[in-house]
Amino acid sequence: MEDIVFSLNSVWLILGALLVILMQGGFILLEAGSTRMKNAGHIAGKTVFTFGLASIVFWAVGYGFIFGGNSNFFIGLSDFFYSGDQAEGMAYSTAAFFMFQLAFAGISLTIAFGGFAERAKLSAYLVFAILFSVAVYPVVAHWIWGGGWLAEHGKQDFAGSTVVHLTGAMAAFAATLLLKPRIGKFNKNGTSNNIFGHNQVYTALGVIVLWVGWFGFNGGSTFVVDDGFFGFVALNTNLAAGAGAVAALIISWMVLGKSDIPTILNGALAGLVAITASCAFVETWAAVLIGFVAGILVFYSVKFFDRLKIDDPIYALSVHGAAGIWGTLSTGLFATPELATVGKPGLFYGGGFSQLGVQAMGVSVSALYAFVVSFVLLYAMKKVMKGLRVSEEEEIIGLDVSEHGNYGYPEAFIANEEKNRIAN
Amino acid sequence: MPYSSLKKWRDEKWMEHQDSSQALNEFHDKMMKKVFHVALQKHIETFGPVPCRYEWFVMGSGGRFEQAIISDQDHGLIYEEKSDETKRYFLSLGKELADGLNEVGYPYCDGNVMSSNPVWSKSIVEWEEQLSKWLTEESFESIRFLLIFYDARVLVGEETYCKKLRKLIHDYVKRNPHLLERLLENTQHVKKAVGFFHQFITESHGSHAGSIDLKQSGFFPYVNNVRLLAMKESLEATSTLTRLKELYSMSKYTEDLKWCREEFEKLLQYRLQYHNKTTENYDDIHYLNIKELSKDERKDMKHILLNGQKLQNYTQSVIKGMIDT
Repeated sequence: MEDIVFSLNSVWLILGALLVILMQGGFILLEAGSTRMKNAGHIAGKTVFTFGLASIVFWAVGYGFIFGGNSNFFIGLSDFFYSGDQAEGMAYSTAAFFMFQLAFAGISLTIAFGGFAERAKLSAYLVFAILFSVAVYPVVAHWIWGGGWLAEHGKQDFAGSTVVHLTGAMAAFAATLLLKPRIGKFNKNGTSNNIFGHNQVYTALGVIVLWVGWFGFNGGSTFVVDDGFFGFVALNTNLAAGAGAVAALIISWMVLGKSDIPTILNGALAGLVAITASCAFVETWAAVLIGFVAGILVFYSVKFFDRLKIDDPIYALSVHGAAGIWGTLSTGLFATPELATVGKPGLFYGGGFSQLGVQAMGVSVSALYAFVVSFVLLYAMKKVMKGLRVSEEEEIIGLDVSEHGNYGYPEAFIANEEKNRIAN
Repeated sequence: MPYSSLKKWRDEKWMEHQDSSQALNEFHDKMMKKVFHVALQKHIETFGPVPCRYEWFVMGSGGRFEQAIISDQDHGLIYEEKSDETKRYFLSLGKELADGLNEVGYPYCDGNVMSSNPVWSKSIVEWEEQLSKWLTEESFESIRFLLIFYDARVLVGEETYCKKLRKLIHDYVKRNPHLLERLLENTQHVKKAVGFFHQFITESHGSHAGSIDLKQSGFFPYVNNVRLLAMKESLEATSTLTRLKELYSMSKYTEDLKWCREEFEKLLQYRLQYHNKTTENYDDIHYLNIKELSKDERKDMKHILLNGQKLQNYTQSVIKGMIDT
């Protein structure tokens, strides 16, 4: 019997890992669809490539930093170059657990790259993929999931609203500040332009792939299948996503007078991001509420960054940042005594402000760490690499050609080139 | 006199004609007539005298006597004789006219509604055929053309052909009232400018961020619905204000439209007062930055916009009611 449970747990974890890795596909569609044709191939290619790179870094040091023994304040210091050994007393395959965790590290990195979109050099992606996977993600993950000081405080972050999403978003924030807005995003008089994505269907498909992948992300985070608890986690996850989409539609209709599709898509994602921390700790009605609030929050957050003249091409700051913060705080409000296996019940369940305080402190410190370290690293890269950004000419012709010498949509562009040649 | 000196004269004079929409439009009329005579003179020098009777008319905001400071050109020609010779003559005159107007400061019409386009420059016989086709065809394009033509106002020549054509439309509509419903559908989409919370819905991006689109959200509901009611009642007038006045004098509309005229007059005044004074661009003229309005003016503007929606609903019920009974 124990063997069967062990095997089932391991299958469940690997299935989770597969779903989360598939979310990279969701991000490719989401990011490529939300940006222009001339960068589509680059976006798709760099996602695959940086995930590969992050995998190797995670194997070499990332995993050890997060979960290793002999830990100091920041990181653990064993299990480098993980050999695939089974850890004693684990109720599932350690290698499967490793794969699951690796997939998460990859998602956080891809979120961070949202802040790079359409203007960063390929070499900047390469270097930052390594630095982020070594120095940013593992520290926050260790603090909260690897038995670090925030774990000891009883911080609740079931599947990573803070660890994965907010950490990625903070790096994206640092990057977009240092990279500056894309050419043509803001006008001299302070108004901003809409740089439309080239394929709304891609973007929507991306959201659906992510939505499905999220069942691995959150459901898989139960690690074990014993009592079928993952079903409840999946239920909460789905409810929040739905509520986020509905809320976003309502708010965009009320404020803009139209049912804005990018807003609806962001709303679904924001609901998912927010419920990630709380999916295992709250009742279903709270999941609906958490998603609903996230859908409204993301709408105003997008407006807020636009007003600050911060160019956030694929809304990473709002979807993963603002909603990540809200999601982390939400368990401090709604965690029930029965479900709060980590930490205490929330404010509305007689827990007082103590859990909310833990959540607020944890989310602030983690955000601050991720932002400051990312900013310092990127700033140093900017100095050493003589800029993070491609030249103006390269940005205008597009990164497909400037960084890869190839078009994502060859027919569309090469036909034009030929026409120009003939015309000349 | 070359066009350049006309332009100079216009640039010097037009500041004096900005007090009211009435004054501005009288000035536009004068200006366009001057351009016509210069163009005609030039054309006669090259191609000889005018071969037959003709009428030159303007449409769009010009036809409705409600042009903004900057306005693109919409115009057409009707002439007496149908022949290859007259066709050539008037088309090249139309071309000269369009170039002249453009040079003087009336940009070419994007939709090619100009006398240089064979669609808008025809003998009266061909015009009648074309109009009948538009009336029966009910395609998206013919509906659009029909609505454009319905605002035609003669600037040069006697107003006989144009009247005749308008009568053709009125007679057809009387016999086929369902056409009005089809026309209604064509103009039903209005860009919302006042939202759920009674807030302004301004442009969120681009160079007009913070402004409302006065043309689409403000003028269109009034212009389109008043035009439709005018068509229903076989009115001769082409200006929205005059149409409103005539409708208002009919007892069945008195109660429901009494607020309308004042609102539309205010709309014209706001556009005149708050247009972007630094621009020479036709597109810019229709945007109103609500930050420039005082608190009372904002309230007023919201009222005007909401009443536009109200007029839209009212017209809908009038036309639908007419079909049903």
